[in-house]
Amino acid sequence: MSTALRKIGLGGITGNRTALFISLGLMVLLLLVPTVLPGYQTLFRTILCFVALAYGWNIIGGYTGYVSFGNMVFFGLGTYCAALLSARGIDNLFADVGLAVVVNAAFAAVVGFPVLRLKGHYFGIATLGTALAVTDIVGNLDIFGGTGGLKVTQVDEAHFAIYYYAAWLVAAGAIAVTFLVARSKLGYAFVAIRENEDAAAVLGISATKYKIIAWAISAAIAGAAGAVYARGNGFVDPSIAFAEDFNVYPIVMTILGGTGTVAGPFVGALILSGVNETLGHTFLKLHSLFFGAVIVLVVLLLPRGLVWLIGLRGGVRTWIKSLQAYKA
Amino acid sequence: MHLLAQDLVNGILAGGILAVVALGFSLVWGIMNIINLAHGAFIMLGAFITWQLFTSFHVDPFLSLPVSFVVLFVLGYLIQRYLINWVARAPVLTTFLLTFGLSLLIVNIALLIWTGDTRGVTTAYSGSNFTVAGITVPWAKVYTLAAALVITGVMYMWLHRSKTGRAIRATSMDIGAAQLAGVRVAQIFAIVYGLGAGLAGVAGTLISLSYSLNPAMGQPFLIKGFVVCVLGGLGSVEGALVGGLAYGIVEAFASQIDLTIGTQHISGTGLQDAVALVVLLIVLMVRPTGIMGRATA
Amino acid sequence: MRISDIGMRFGGLWALSEVSFDVERGSVVGLIGPNGSGKTTLMNVISGVYKPTTGEVRYAGKRIADVPAYDVCHLGIARTFQIVKPFASLSTRENVAVGAMYGRNGAKRSTRASFERAQELLEIVGLARVADRPAAELTIPDRKRLEVAKALALDPDVLLLDEVMAGLNATEVEEALELLRDVNRRGVTLIVVEHLMKAIVSISTTIVVLAEGRKIAQGAPSEVLASPQVIEAYLGSRWVKRQEQLKEIEAQRAEAMRIQPPEATA
Repeated sequence: MSTALRKIGLGGITGNRTALFISLGLMVLLLLVPTVLPGYQTLFRTILCFVALAYGWNIIGGYTGYVSFGNMVFFGLGTYCAALLSARGIDNLFADVGLAVVVNAAFAAVVGFPVLRLKGHYFGIATLGTALAVTDIVGNLDIFGGTGGLKVTQVDEAHFAIYYYAAWLVAAGAIAVTFLVARSKLGYAFVAIRENEDAAAVLGISATKYKIIAWAISAAIAGAAGAVYARGNGFVDPSIAFAEDFNVYPIVMTILGGTGTVAGPFVGALILSGVNETLGHTFLKLHSLFFGAVIVLVVLLLPRGLVWLIGLRGGVRTWIKSLQAYKA
Repeated sequence: MHLLAQDLVNGILAGGILAVVALGFSLVWGIMNIINLAHGAFIMLGAFITWQLFTSFHVDPFLSLPVSFVVLFVLGYLIQRYLINWVARAPVLTTFLLTFGLSLLIVNIALLIWTGDTRGVTTAYSGSNFTVAGITVPWAKVYTLAAALVITGVMYMWLHRSKTGRAIRATSMDIGAAQLAGVRVAQIFAIVYGLGAGLAGVAGTLISLSYSLNPAMGQPFLIKGFVVCVLGGLGSVEGALVGGLAYGIVEAFASQIDLTIGTQHISGTGLQDAVALVVLLIVLMVRPTGIMGRATA
Repeated sequence: MRISDIGMRFGGLWALSEVSFDVERGSVVGLIGPNGSGKTTLMNVISGVYKPTTGEVRYAGKRIADVPAYDVCHLGIARTFQIVKPFASLSTRENVAVGAMYGRNGAKRSTRASFERAQELLEIVGLARVADRPAAELTIPDRKRLEVAKALALDPDVLLLDEVMAGLNATEVEEALELLRDVNRRGVTLIVVEHLMKAIVSISTTIVVLAEGRKIAQGAPSEVLASPQVIEAYLGSRWVKRQEQLKEIEAQRAEAMRIQPPEATA
């Protein structure tokens, strides 16, 4: 079985198989939430949005190695897509997601064109700038309802679960897309760019083209998550749509779980959401502080993420050895 | 016409601070190839140290310049020596994320200590201006500009004359050759990062006189610092100065934008970050290596 | 391939001037010259990494300078680099597969086909035994083999090899030469930059010699190496003069010995 899997490339850039199966299992379990734990529906719906966001980020940040601090822009635009459609009387989830996907992929391609010509971390700061800029702009323009925000039409109480399932579908879709990409030629192009952009060019990979593709996919996923979130939330305004959380959390989740793997974002999202919830009720102010600490610790001690740790043979000693690898 | 001149003056006054902001950022970027996302946080710390000294001990902001420099320098040195150095040979992504995490940590610790309330530093001379040819010039900003120019000048001299300064420049040109010449590169890196942090702290002190303070204040300056580096080129004092002044002027003119499209009212002051981004995109499309060279990998 | 009048200037320095020669299909061209003569610069121009300040390189009717970096391999030109930089976290096989996926015939290949092609190439270069190891773990000779394999995955007509033998011991050099001969037999034209004289001589059909950015000789190995200009370029004019002086002295001594009666030389 494992040679067969190896032959189709699984276990290479897809990441640890065990972690993947566990994640898929948990995803299936999550389907039961509206029926078994209806009180936690909102919580898990938000978690699923984060899962989707994490997967979105993983494509550009994890696989392609281009850290983006601007993905929350896509999420925000996605929420506004749903809100604007709602304002015009169109209340169809498919339309919401469809519009969000198209708008964000296009936006990513357009902004990406000048910005993705930059290498590595130059791109990162540019995305940060984009994020701040867009937040400013949206907050100032009236068609977006300004700072007052926009209301989003929802179905009645009884059918609320539909928003949960929609979020689940988006998350599942994100996982599926990641899986397909990882196994395909596209995935290898992304990884090649991450490992050595110049060597990739020598082998025939147009870095700019593939970076834009990666970012567009990433944007589409984030946008879809945003659209669904807006419907589920019933209300959209700049502080919600462009909240710092939506920017930072997916990044931390993916790093914790394991960048450039299929199971990583899911594992990271679940763990951090769980911790966040437990802490959140007792230590309201410490969210970001905690996440900052997590980033620092993970980067220093566990740069390949938890999924790597799960698949590790040789236990503690190999881990300690790996820590020495990057020292100056 | 008169309005333009006022903008020009405002721009230059603001640009001085940006030059100092960019200088620290540019040194770390140019010499160590690290984009320090914690730079904004360091600026914020410098500003708050000044505020605290001012509020609790009535120390004049300009007198707290050395304090913020030293405190931030030490902090930066330690961070580089014991944290960043740990992953020195990892892919750049790793260090990038590390500085991001540090930024989060610092900002949130600051939130805990000082809460999210907006504060300001108001000295006896904060409100006073003088007028020249119909242009209003606030005294505080003039002092700030003067300080910024002095600091820039001192840095320039130090980098070009002192032994450590020359070692730093040698390292930025060719690490191997510098090592062969006896430069202890690891030590230099820690000093450079500390220097970057120290300069950020100093910038923060200067900023505290003209802008309001809160733990999240560093972010926009980080972005502007980045744009200035792209404009002015990396690792050079002259570049940071020219870039900073140029940017300051652009920003001042942009804040004059006051349009009404249909029922939509757009004001330039609220869109500062957007301005930064637009400038950046334009520069990158027109001249990918930045105006004074060396901005892209 | 036609290389015409290439000039390359960096700042105030002309690294290359008026370099021209043709490369015949199926041949092995050895590019030699003292350090700093511009060999790697020329390689960079031929492979499209640098755009020449003057002159052009034409291949298959196109000017290479007009082709973007990632498209050069689609023309049929591949190269290896002196400083090998494999995709560290990918396995050896995956490294080669990337080339197979995006190289000349890549568009027609599926992922599976690319991996199969990669496996074939690994066998040719002798890396099959480490196919699944992360590239970061390979030894230097193996990394060089990987470079060649990746280049071959692009199905090139012309392969540029930049100091591929550097750092190899004698046995490894022999193996590498055998591999290159094999590649050439399969129809790939080679342009090889190398410092090891013996290696270059044993493998090249033509040798081009550069010195201080100019071409000073071209031809079959034996003629080129005997050419006084080449010797002078490598060993310096003072050495050449000294050799001539020594020859003079030797000739005079021989003369002197002939005139003297044999007994006096005991």
